[in-house]
Amino acid sequence: MGPIEKLAAKGVSRRDFVKLCAATTAAFGLSKVFVPQVVEAAETAVKKPAVIWLEGQDCAGCSESLLATLKPDAATLVLDVISLRYHETIMAGAGEHAEEARRKTMEEGGYVLVVEGSIPLADDRFCKIGGKSFREMLLETAKNAAAIVAVGACATYGGIPKAGPTNAAGVLDVIKDKPVINLPMCPGKPSQLVATLLYFITFKRAPELDKYGRPKVFYSNLLHDNCPRRGHFENGQFLTDWNDPSQKEWCLLMKGCKGPKTYTDCAQVWWNDGANFCINAGSPCSGCAQPEFYADFNPLYTKTEMFNLPGLGQMNVDSLGKAIGGLAAAGVAVHLAGKLITGNGSEKDSKGVGK
Amino acid sequence: MAVQKIVVDPVTRIEGHLRVEVEVENGVVKNAWSHGTMFRGFEQLLKGKDPRDASYVTERVCGVCTCSHGLTSALTLDQAFGAQVPEGGRLIRNLILGAIWLHDHPLHFYHLSALDYLDVMAVAQYQGNDKGLLGVKDKILKLVQMGDTSPLTPRYEPDQFCVRDPEIVLSAVSHYLKALEIQAKAKKMCAIFAGKIPHNSSMVVGGVTKYPNLQDLDNFRTLLKEVGDFVRDVYVPDVLAFGTGPLLPLAQAGVGGFGNFLAYGWFPNDKDGKDMMFKAGVVMDGQIGKTREFDSNKILEEVKYSWYEDTEALHPSKGVTRYLADKKEAYSWMKAPRYDGKPMEVGPLARMLVQQHKPVLDLVTKYKIKPGAVARHAARAVETLLLLEHVEKWLNELYELMGKGDLKIHDTEHWDPPKEASGMGLSEAPRGALGHWIEIKEQKIANYQLVVPSTWNLSPRDGKDQRGPVEEALIGAPVPDPKNPINVVRIIRSFDPCISCAVHLIEPETNEILEFRIG
Repeated sequence: MGPIEKLAAKGVSRRDFVKLCAATTAAFGLSKVFVPQVVEAAETAVKKPAVIWLEGQDCAGCSESLLATLKPDAATLVLDVISLRYHETIMAGAGEHAEEARRKTMEEGGYVLVVEGSIPLADDRFCKIGGKSFREMLLETAKNAAAIVAVGACATYGGIPKAGPTNAAGVLDVIKDKPVINLPMCPGKPSQLVATLLYFITFKRAPELDKYGRPKVFYSNLLHDNCPRRGHFENGQFLTDWNDPSQKEWCLLMKGCKGPKTYTDCAQVWWNDGANFCINAGSPCSGCAQPEFYADFNPLYTKTEMFNLPGLGQMNVDSLGKAIGGLAAAGVAVHLAGKLITGNGSEKDSKGVGK
Repeated sequence: MAVQKIVVDPVTRIEGHLRVEVEVENGVVKNAWSHGTMFRGFEQLLKGKDPRDASYVTERVCGVCTCSHGLTSALTLDQAFGAQVPEGGRLIRNLILGAIWLHDHPLHFYHLSALDYLDVMAVAQYQGNDKGLLGVKDKILKLVQMGDTSPLTPRYEPDQFCVRDPEIVLSAVSHYLKALEIQAKAKKMCAIFAGKIPHNSSMVVGGVTKYPNLQDLDNFRTLLKEVGDFVRDVYVPDVLAFGTGPLLPLAQAGVGGFGNFLAYGWFPNDKDGKDMMFKAGVVMDGQIGKTREFDSNKILEEVKYSWYEDTEALHPSKGVTRYLADKKEAYSWMKAPRYDGKPMEVGPLARMLVQQHKPVLDLVTKYKIKPGAVARHAARAVETLLLLEHVEKWLNELYELMGKGDLKIHDTEHWDPPKEASGMGLSEAPRGALGHWIEIKEQKIANYQLVVPSTWNLSPRDGKDQRGPVEEALIGAPVPDPKNPINVVRIIRSFDPCISCAVHLIEPETNEILEFRIG
């Protein structure tokens, strides 16, 4: 059976699958020459990679976010690309059947563990599943995992629950002896999760991570540097009235935007199949990609008095528009250029990847 | 025969972590307890925060009822701030919510419930020639051949109520797959005005932040056509065909329930909210056709079986939350909301019965359907049709409003928090009546309380030892095989529980009930 037939047999249209793999390589800044390698890795896998998806102190928003994917569509992802062994919100089995599915997969080993939701460190009783505390369940399931992906603000850094009374923490605060790939935001972004899973399937290791455990390809750019409203920021045009059509594209700094403190790909990769993102909907960025979210990033809708604008140092918002003259703007441009990801580093990364 | 205790933990294919215990005697459920097993403390973490943050933060209470909490919180703040939402803001809020409901109801039927009514593996027996169906058959058979049918297995064994006709099952499975795409497109529709989904950022006190252009409306309309066609041609016919066909015996059996129904009403058709698409009202003791007026002052929360310091029954606006984890008789951290002292079912069936929606009443009469799991699915489907017509209408009204020029989406005059104020927001979430209450002091949140649909439905016993609605609905459910309590999960899932919303609860080990794990 040739590769195309094999894919057809798996129920995936060849065109869609190659597109998906191409999107992955593009997402990771890899050259197109790697597309066939990604396609081959996914095609030649004897078995679909097993995935255990655990939910702790969560809202199922990250699961719903994954199901919002249209490229690839959720059915292809869940039935053809991965083998989803345990997922409370989706799986057929309940009770002991659910636990049995998890146990069997743990015994086999080599699965990808995806974690949604935070872990309450104040008291194990704040989150129990199948009569067991979520913390114990996480430790137990992490043991034989080939990779661990924390998805969403809660599982990465504690998210909104961290601001509450349960001492909610991220996976890295519990799993100390294994690498964890952090894909924050509220909810986690499906494009990042799919690309990360395919990257792992292809290269059998995690992509390069930043100091917060986030893949650099998604989290190296300051939102503010890439914001479609940046021009208005530099012209000192700040939105004060959502009713005024002439202001509708203006900078949201006065409405509390955390874009100048937030590293994310939101400006480049919009949500819901490219439909929109917060700032384009007139909503200030809440900084949900950062460890500071939400406990250290509130109030959300009050202008940030002081913030560190790279290349310009500590600035007061009121003076910013005026401060950015031609000279300073040039400085920002130089800074931006220095931060752009080049293809070179990424290609070097992929050397030594075994087949 | 001895009484057997069955524990289902986790109850899957619902939102959140739920543990349900039932006592079965002679193959029938005699008693039931529902426990949520996760706690985050949203109400506590909001204290001292800027009130405007509440709509953003409570939006994150649940990722499935996403937008419902954001909206209800915004309504609460609107009242507290004295904000008047302009027409454009009202219509856009309706479209955001409408779109997310169009995602939520089909997803609940196909992805969270249908697997309880289908013997999926029957597809192998399909002998017909339909190309589309054969494609789906191949897809499932390939999974079987690869020896990996996750997440469709493991499962409870199909019982006599499971549909086994290969063609019906196969077409249902193909709709399951199609519905995955449709719910994603409904979310995309929602995101056009909401920013992203789950977790909209657009609904804030005073209105919305998204100032739309005509292209946004056109994009919304294109997706609405596709989603609407699926709802009209596939989802609703499927539910009705199942309910009045293979599942009719289950529909007529009904079982369990108090016959008390409550709806707050929502989706304003006019500026003042006098004409609501879903009406507010109360039905007591199964007296369908006798809808009583709803009075929010009759909502009280009780804590006899909850791990809180005993207080008198309190209105949510005065709600207090003081833990008492060692309280011996308690078995839940969920409070027990009661209306006029009665446990109330909320959700689609409640809404349809409260407003005596003719298509639902006709169905019930014609097929002799009793309130129960199947009736809840049918009411959910029929109200989706009602909603769809309204979403189309609101979209046209937004086009007209934009055509006139001078579109207003926000009350900018009331953006700053008041020094002292209180507010209440009542609406309907897909799963039922949802209420938020706020008290503001010194421009900060002094108290914030939520009473959510799943707290109404899954609440523990109250001061008079009355069971909660789901506990009661389980009584009488047939469980011929204790290892296969499929009817228990069918009934629970028909309420579309959303436990993340409902929990103010944990389960201390000291109070753990002796457990017989199933399987």
